[in-house]
Amino acid sequence: MTTLLQVMGLSKSFGAVNAVNGIHFSITEGHCAALLGPNGAGKTTTIRMIAGLLRQTAGQLIFEGKEPGGKHRELIGYLPQTPSFYNWMTGLEFVVYAGRLSGLSSAAARKNALALVERVGLAGAAKRRIGSYSGGMKQRLGLAQALTHQPKLLILDEPVSALDPLGRREVLELLHELKQETTILFSTHVLHDAEELCDDVIIMRSGQVALQGPLEEIRRKHRKLTMELQIENDAASREWLSSYIHNVQQEIDSSNLSCLFEAAEQHQVGARFTVKDSDAARRHLVEALARHQVKVTKLELGHSSLEDLFMEVVST
Amino acid sequence: MNEPFVLADLIPVLAPIFVIQLILMIIALVLCAKAERTRGPKWVWVIVIVLINIFGPIAFFIGGRRSE
Amino acid sequence: MNDSAKTLNVHGRFEGRATTGWVRYVVMVQKEVLELARSYKLLWVPLVFILLGMMQPVSTYYMPVILERAGSLPEGTVIDIPMPQGAEVLAQTLQQFGTLGVLVLVLAFMGTVSGERMSGVAAIIMVKPISPLAYIGSKWTAMLLLTWGSLTAGYLGSWYYTGLLIGEVPLIDVCRSLFVYGLWLSMVMVIALLLSTWLRSPAAAAFATFGGALVLTLLAHLFPAFLGWTPGSLSGYAYQLAASSMEDSKMLGYAVASTLVGAGVCISLSAALLSKSSTDE
Repeated sequence: MTTLLQVMGLSKSFGAVNAVNGIHFSITEGHCAALLGPNGAGKTTTIRMIAGLLRQTAGQLIFEGKEPGGKHRELIGYLPQTPSFYNWMTGLEFVVYAGRLSGLSSAAARKNALALVERVGLAGAAKRRIGSYSGGMKQRLGLAQALTHQPKLLILDEPVSALDPLGRREVLELLHELKQETTILFSTHVLHDAEELCDDVIIMRSGQVALQGPLEEIRRKHRKLTMELQIENDAASREWLSSYIHNVQQEIDSSNLSCLFEAAEQHQVGARFTVKDSDAARRHLVEALARHQVKVTKLELGHSSLEDLFMEVVST
Repeated sequence: MNEPFVLADLIPVLAPIFVIQLILMIIALVLCAKAERTRGPKWVWVIVIVLINIFGPIAFFIGGRRSE
Repeated sequence: MNDSAKTLNVHGRFEGRATTGWVRYVVMVQKEVLELARSYKLLWVPLVFILLGMMQPVSTYYMPVILERAGSLPEGTVIDIPMPQGAEVLAQTLQQFGTLGVLVLVLAFMGTVSGERMSGVAAIIMVKPISPLAYIGSKWTAMLLLTWGSLTAGYLGSWYYTGLLIGEVPLIDVCRSLFVYGLWLSMVMVIALLLSTWLRSPAAAAFATFGGALVLTLLAHLFPAFLGWTPGSLSGYAYQLAASSMEDSKMLGYAVASTLVGAGVCISLSAALLSKSSTDE
C-alpha cells in the first residue's frame, strides 16, 4: 500500500484569519478518504490547496513522494463545490474539452467522453446545452469532466450537499463504483455520507485535524458501551430515575475511579448511560430497578455510534 | 459641381448597406426571441432593434441578453 | 456499465500519450472561436465594421444631396462642399473604426476573463494541466482573429466604395495603413485583456480600456516629437499612410517595435495576474 498524497503542516491564513492551521494527513492509494467537519472547519480551503487553486501559507504537499511542480495536476481530477461550466457548450463538448486540456488526443478524449456521459447517466442529455441542466445533472457532468483523463486522485468538494435526495442517491452510487477504480478524497459535513463510502476519515475542526484514521479503527477504538433505559411514565418511576441519575452524576463528578459510569443523560421517560464495564453496570442498574420496583419498559445494551463520536469531537 | 443623382444609380450602391443592416436586424431579432432572459422587457428590445438603425441591434448584442 | 468501464481503461491516461502544451493552446483557441461563433460575435462584429466602412464613402458622396433634401436651406442656395480625396475618406474610415469600432470590440470582449472567473468555470479549467500563459494567449488569439478579420473586411469595403464613388486609392497604401492600424487595435485589445484579468467588473474594464487608449493617443498626438515612438501614435501614422504622406518612417518603425514589446509585456502581466489571483483568493 503506497501513499499517494502526503499533506505536511499545511496552513493557510487569509489576513489574520487562520483558515487551516498546520494539518497533517496522508492518503493511501486506492482508498476513499473523507474530509469531515462542520461548515467553516477549513475543508474547502484544504481541498483547494490540494487541487492547486490556492497557494498554502506554509506546509508541503507531496504527491507520490515528489513535491508538485505543476506536473501533479495531471494526476488530479477535481470537482468544485458548485461547479459551473460554459453554458453555451453541450455536456459532451465540455467533457471532450476537459479531456483535451488534460492532454488526451482528440480521439481518446472523444471516446472517453462518450463512455463517461453514459456512465454518469447523461447520455440522453449529452447533446443539450449545459445551460439547461439541473443541479444534479451539473454535478454528474462535473464528475465526468474530472474523470476524463483517468486521474489517480479524484478530489470532490461537498459533492452531494447541494443535491435533492434523488440526485444525492445517484451521485453516491456513482462514487461507490468509482472508488473501485481510483483514489478519492471528498469533503462533507454529513457523517452518514462519509460512513457509507469511506475507508478513512479525517475529521476537521476550526482549521485543525481533530481525529483521523481508518473508519473501522476509529469505530473500534472509540466505541463505548451504552445502556439505554426506558421506564413507564408514572410519578414513582420518574422520581426514582431522577434520584438515580443524580447519584450517578455525583459519582462521575467526584472522579471516583471505581465508578462504573462515564456519562449519564436523562430524557423524558428514560436515560442513556455510557459505561465502563457493562456487566457490573448492568448488575448495578438492574438491582436498583428491582429494589425500587421501577416499571421498566426497555433496557438495551449497545455501542455508541460514530455520530456520537463525531458530535463529541466537533463540539468540544 | 455635383453630378445629378438618379435613383437607378443609387440602388446598386445602397443595396448592400440595406442588406447588411437587415441581416443585423434579423440576427438580433432571432436572438431576442430565443433568449430566455433579456435585460428589460422583450418588446422594448424588438422596437429598439427594428427602429434604431445599426445601433439598435448592436446595443442588443452587447447588453440585451442576461446570461444565467 | 461494465462495457463503458472497459473502454475507459483502454483509452485512459496510460495509453494515450499526453499532448504538448502547444496542442492544448490550439484546443483552447478552437474553444474561443467556437464561443465567438455560438454567440454570433463572429458574424455581427465584422458586419458592423463592413457597414461602418461602406457608409463612410457613401455618406461623403451623398452629403450634398442629404443637406439639400433636408430642406431647411433657403431657395437658391448653392451647396458647394468640395469632394474630398479618396485617401481622406479612407483616413476618416479609420477614425470611425477607432471610435465606434473600438467601442464594439471592447464591449464584445470586456468580460472575456473576468466573466469566466466570476462564474467559477475558471476553477475547473485552471485545475487542468495548462499554463496561465496559454489560457491568456488563447483569449488574445481569438480577439486578434476577430479584430483583424473585422478590420480587414470593413476597410476593404470602404476602399471598394471609395474607388467606386470618389477616387482610386492604391492598394499598397491601403494595405500599409491597414497593417499599422491593425497593430494599434491589437494594442487596444491587449489592454482590454489585461484589464479584464485584473478587474472584476466587465464595465470597469471596458471603461478603463477606453480611457487608456484615449490617453495613449492624446499624449502621442500632443507631443509627437517626444512620444512619436509609442503605440499611441500608430493611429496617426495609419491615417498618414492611407493618404500616402508618411513623413517619418523611422519613427513608425519604433512605434511598431514598442507596440510589439508593449503587447508582450501586457500578455505576460495578464498571465502573471491570472496565476496569482487564481491561487490567492
